[in-house]
Order: sequence, then structure tokens, then C-alpha cells
Amino acid sequence: MMKKLFTGLLLSSATTLHAADLTIYTYDSFVSEWGPGPKLETAFEQECQCDIEFIAVEDGVSILNRARIEQARTKADVLLGLDNSLTEITREAKLTQPHNISLDPISAHLNWQDDTFVPFDYGYFSFIYDSEKIQQPATSLKALIESEASVIYQDPRTSTPGQGLMLWVKAVYGDEAPLAWKQLASHTVTVTKGWWEAYSMFLKGDADYVLSYNTSPAYHQVAEQNSQYKAARFSEGHIVQTEVAAISAYAQNPALAQQFLTFLISPKAQSIIPVTNWMLPVIDDVPLPEAFDSLIKPETIGFTAEQIAKQRQQWIREWRTSAN
Amino acid sequence: MAHLCQLALSHWLSYGLVLSFTCLSFYGLMSFGGASPDINLLSDSYFYELLGFTLKQSLLSALLSVALAIPVARALFYCPKLPAKRWFLAFCLLCFVTPTLIVITGMVALLGRSGLLTPLLNQLTENDWNLYGLEGILLAHIFLNTPLAIRSIWLQLSAIPETSWRLAAQLKLSPWQRFKTVEWPVLRQSSAVISGFIFVLCFNSFAVVLALGGGPSSTTLEVAIYQALKYDFNIGEALTLAWSQLLIAGTLYAVMTRFGTLSWQSVDNGNPHSPPQPSRQKANIFKLIYLLSWVLLLLPYIALLPGLLDYTPRWQDLSMITRPAVISLGLAFVAAMMAMGIAYLLLQPIRTAALQQKEQQQFWLETVATHTLITPAMVLSVGLFVFLLPKVDLDRYGIIAVVILNTLLLVPFAIQKLKPRVLQFDQQYDRLVRSLKLNNRHRWRLLWPFIKPVWLSTFGLVFVLGLGDVAIFSIFGNTEWTTLPWLIYGFAGSYQLAEASAASFLLLLICALILFLLERTQTRNTVRVEHS
Repeated sequence: MMKKLFTGLLLSSATTLHAADLTIYTYDSFVSEWGPGPKLETAFEQECQCDIEFIAVEDGVSILNRARIEQARTKADVLLGLDNSLTEITREAKLTQPHNISLDPISAHLNWQDDTFVPFDYGYFSFIYDSEKIQQPATSLKALIESEASVIYQDPRTSTPGQGLMLWVKAVYGDEAPLAWKQLASHTVTVTKGWWEAYSMFLKGDADYVLSYNTSPAYHQVAEQNSQYKAARFSEGHIVQTEVAAISAYAQNPALAQQFLTFLISPKAQSIIPVTNWMLPVIDDVPLPEAFDSLIKPETIGFTAEQIAKQRQQWIREWRTSAN
Repeated sequence: MAHLCQLALSHWLSYGLVLSFTCLSFYGLMSFGGASPDINLLSDSYFYELLGFTLKQSLLSALLSVALAIPVARALFYCPKLPAKRWFLAFCLLCFVTPTLIVITGMVALLGRSGLLTPLLNQLTENDWNLYGLEGILLAHIFLNTPLAIRSIWLQLSAIPETSWRLAAQLKLSPWQRFKTVEWPVLRQSSAVISGFIFVLCFNSFAVVLALGGGPSSTTLEVAIYQALKYDFNIGEALTLAWSQLLIAGTLYAVMTRFGTLSWQSVDNGNPHSPPQPSRQKANIFKLIYLLSWVLLLLPYIALLPGLLDYTPRWQDLSMITRPAVISLGLAFVAAMMAMGIAYLLLQPIRTAALQQKEQQQFWLETVATHTLITPAMVLSVGLFVFLLPKVDLDRYGIIAVVILNTLLLVPFAIQKLKPRVLQFDQQYDRLVRSLKLNNRHRWRLLWPFIKPVWLSTFGLVFVLGLGDVAIFSIFGNTEWTTLPWLIYGFAGSYQLAEASAASFLLLLICALILFLLERTQTRNTVRVEHS
């Protein structure tokens, strides 16, 4: 009985897998039923008359790790879902090749000139608050840190938003960062492993502010018709997270990979991604639900990927000794 | 004879099997880029802070869980006719296997800043109540582990032979003397074993510690391993951390479990137990304790219910959930069956060693058999991933690795629960079995009815434990095979928190159903044995 069940399960999986023309490594939520994956797949397959396959791993870092372990044996033609803090490490590991596509469609304000990585969406790390509870939100990171408002954020050792806050504090405070962490710790409720633990604690009412993205309110408005949650705009500027795709150094089908990257920044794909991945489009004039108009549009501050790659370890050490 | 040799061979092969996967995973990590343990870490004060906190929280969690479990277990034992006792015991297992995602949500909903009980606690503590910090971690760990300790101590108390009680009565021992001579040896032994077990489980705790810990001062070794392997891809550091964990957690586990002696393992005649009648006053205290534990264990679940009201059921959600639920059940069933089989094989040399009173040998065999309990799961799975990825098409066959690794992680639980019963059988019947020169088949037919109730409840435990896996699936699984816990994390990770709590509730219901069904067959069985 056990054996039968097991072989049955095995067979059912074997029939669904086949060699595709283009294999794309991405993260899990990208290809979930409510993510952008399925719609992008349909749209691109229509355009290229080919067959693409997503292989999903846990998250952005896992894409890099897998490519690192596999090296030349990789199945990936495209790595999709790394972010701007990982591009330098990926480049140094020689896992990618230049994309050779035109970046003209990319919005000018993003100022993107990378010959290897193509951005496909972005968002600003932001603190979200409940506007029914807080009438006058903090207007700067300094104000928040000096306030007594309760805050939940994520661990920079285990989560991308957490790392974002680390960069944010470093960018605003520089050498004063340890003091700022100490100050923030006095009104920090807790620091969680991942995004959802923090966000669900916030929704349960356990903190005044939670670290998330400036696009979070759009989800509540579009999917729940609920406009009580808002992102606080900070005058110092925000750290931006840009999600990128690149052609694998060992791609079997680089031409098709190029076509896919071009598709990724086309109006068609760019109109799918914001409402499924809840991030902002990287090209101008994409028709979006109204909720996106009311999102904050902060200035950008931060570091280059090279700086992050070089200093990250040191900054994490600084955080873990002072945020107590 | 040849048949016997074959049997013995399969026992030793099972040892080879469990060891080989661990070795392969370490080999996988070490061979990648020729990484070797990074000993610089050992001179970093961060490492010692981590270690200190890990030890503190896990020791406290273990001791508190057991200290709280003892009165409840005694109440269950002295008042055999408590209402809904069977349900309570099954419910204990459910608490133990509740996925951390649900525990965290339940704790926050109950005791967080806007928690159901928080106004009350604020009054009691003059507005000084704060869930986050060591107290939050301990509360969650106690909630998870005390129920297991209750069950386990209650079982051992129930195994005290009738004759001991009769003798105590004939000798007119005072309640205190009776406690000291009859109960205490059993309590000491079972508490030592179960606290060692809980200690190791809490030592490896991760998401609970971070979520409720309040800041970077509450960090465990497991977080450092996760960071080293995942974010820094620093295999040298991960290896140092893994070896430290094996050494420290392993040594402490060994010390704690060896603390107890084997004095309790005397003959059990299988009759229904009739412990001494407690005085009316004592019986009332026991009933109160029992009632209180029901309430306290139920509260975190009750606190989840208001969150479910946010969820409006939709037809397409049901279809989205069915397939993952079936896959989860299938995978967990296979892993649990294999874990039970392997555990049984692993137990055979341990039985022989125990019968021949070779304590040293028994100790080492048990250490090897249960070593996956103290091996960091992250190292095991990532190591195996690194080893297998170049050799096997993991996108196609990764699910087999999910099953195998889950099996390996379930084996120690199966052994821990099966061992006392099997050894008890040997103590009682081995001489008889040998003098009758019974063959294997007949031996098995004697053994099976004896261990069947424990086997079934152990199977239930490892089955539902397997149902909750996300750590291994996150590395080897793929979207074709999405399991229910993975779907829950998917919901939670994409704002669909109401859907996540609904799906969590469904997972909990499935676990509960399995446990209650098994508990029912188990009680029916015991009743039959008792009547025949």
C-alpha cells in the first residue's frame, strides 16, 4: 500500500516535468498561484512560441546559493529574483553574463545602468502604521528612532527588509549608528526571523510601526478595500529594494533568455507584476489600480552594491552588539 | 541460523543508513570549495554570547516544562477516572506537534500587547507585562513541551507495578515514604530523560526564539548556522557552529538522560492499574490541577479563533488547499512508516545490549541511533543538498530527499517513545521467550500486542510531526509538490494572513483528527487486552 502510494506519487510528478526551452530560477512566491509567474508564463509563451519552465527555490538568496553550488552544471538560463544587495556577489562569483539588451524603457529616475542585471520591480522599505491609531506619523527616521512609538522589524541576519533597515540606519546615522540602534532598541517590541511574523504581529496590534514596503498599503486597498494602513514617508529618504533578473553564465539558450528579459520590462509584463508581486513597475506609464497613486514616493538614499558587499558583515556585527 | 544472521545484518544496516546520511551531508559541506571549520569564530565573543543564551533558555525551558508536568502527570495517575482524560492525553500530543507558526500567532493573540489576557496581566503586574523577551520564549517552549512531558511521566508512573503499591501498603508506608520509595525513582528517571529531550529540542529552537525574543540578545546557535549557511554562504563558519552544537548539545543530552537509573523497569503484570486512593482533599487538588491544565493548554488555540473571523471562505481556496493537504498526508505517512521501521531495527541491538547489561554499549548504540536529534537540521539538509545537487536531478527527485530527511529526523522521536516499552517486554518475557525457544515469528506475535498501543501512539506522534515540516521542504521541495505547511507560509508571505490562519487551522484539525483516531484505537486495544 505504502509502495503503491509512493510510486503513484512519483509517476504523477514525472509526467509534469519535461525539458523546457528556457529554464528560469526564481523564488517560491513568484510562481505561486497568486504570484506573477503563471500569468507571465502564459504571456511570454504566446509571444515566443516556446516553452518556459520556472524552478522555484525558497527566496532570492537561495537562487544565488543554488547557482553557486551548481556552477556549470546549472539548468538555469535566467536567474530571476535576486535583489540589488546581491548583484555584486553574484557578479563576483561569475555566475552571470551581460544581457546586451536595451535599458531605454526603464524609468529615468531609477538611473539604472547595469550591463548584467535587469530590474523588473522595486519598492522602498518603509514603516507601516495604522492611520486609525496614529494621526501624526513620524516624518523622519530620526524622529521615529527618537520617539517612544513601539516598533517591530526583522532580523538583518535572516531577512531582506531587516537588512534594508540596517542600511537605512547606517546611511542616516553613519558612525552614530550604534547609538541609534540602542535608542531604537528601547522601544522595539521584537525582531523577527522573517517578514510575515513581524507583519502579522503588527496587524494583531502589537506595535505602532512595522518595517515593510511602501507598497504594502496597496495590497490592503486592492485586495481588502481597506485604507487604514499607510506607509510613513521619511524626509531623509528611503532605501530602495530593486529586484533583478540576469542571464546565467552557463545559459543553454542565451538568445531566448535575452528575449525574456526584454519581455520582462515590456508594458505587458510590467502591468502584471505590480498587482501580483505588490511592488512598483520599473517603466513609466503602466496602468495601475488607483491604490498605487496614493502610495508615498520617497527620495532614495543608500549604498552601492559594492559597498554593501564589502561592509555588510561589519554592519551586522555593529547591529547585533548595539541593538540591545 | 543464516536467517538470524540476515536479521542481524538488517539491524546493523539500519545503523549504517542513519549514519551515512549525516556523514554524506558533512562530507558535502566540507568537500564544497574545500571548506574546513573556521576556528576564528571560537575567539569571537559573539559566539559565547550565543552559546550562553542558547544554554540558558533551553535549560530553563526543559526544567520548567518538566516541573510543571509532574503535578499534572500525578493528577492523571492518581485519578484514573478524570472526565475526558483520553482526550486530554491526545490533546497533549497535539500541543507538542503544533507548528511554530501557529504557536507564535497564538501566543501573540493571547499575551501580546493587544492579547486577550493582556489587560488581566497588566493589572496583576501594574502595567509591566511584556510578552517579548526570555519570558515569551519560555512560555512558548513550555506550551509546546510540557504536554509531552505530562504524557511521558504519566506513562512511566502507570508502569509502576501493582506489587510495589501493594508492598508499600503492607509495610504501612506513610504517603511521604511511599512517594520517596515508590514514586520518586520513577519520577527522577523519567524527568531526567524527558528534560534532556526537551533541552535538545529547545536548543535547536529558532523562529520562536527570534519572534518572541525581543532583540539580538535573544539568539540561538541555530540562527548563527542559518545565517552562515544561507546569507553568508560561509561553510567554514557553519561547520564550526555545527560541530559545537553536536558537541555541546550532545554532551548535555547524554549527561541529562544518563542521570536517571533504570530502577523503574520492573515487571509489569499488565493488569489495569489501581494506584492508592488519594484522600478526598488531595483528589480535589488533583482535579483542580487537571482542570487548570485543560484551560491553560486550550487558551492559545482559543485566542486564534477571533483571527479566523477575518477569513471569508471561498470555493477556490478549498481547491487550492486540497492537493497540498493530500500530498502532506502522503509524504508524512511514508516518512512516519519508514521512521517506525528503522527505529524498530535500530532498537534490536539496543535490546540485546540492555539484556546483557552492557551499559556502555547500549549508551553508544542509543547515541548513534538518535544522533539526528542533536545534529542541526539545517546542516543535514544543506549538506545533503550540496552533495546531491551535482549528482541527482533534484527538481525531479527532490521529494524523495524530503521523505528521507524527514524520516531521519523522526527516527529519534520514534526510538525515544518505543524504547521503554520494548525494553520492558524483554525484562518481563525474555526468559520465557528463550526457554520456550520461540522463533522470530512467534516472538513477534508475543511482542506485537504488548507494544501495539505504544506503537500506535508513537506512529501518530511522528506522523503529525512529519506533517508540520517546512525546513526540509524549503530546500528540497518544489511547487509541484507544495505541502500544506508550505502553502501556509506562502499565504503568510504574501499578505494573505487570513488565508494563512484558516489553512493553519485546517492543518491543526487534520493533526487533531489523526491523533484522536489513533488514541481511540489505542484505548480500544488496551481495553481488549485488559479484558482477555
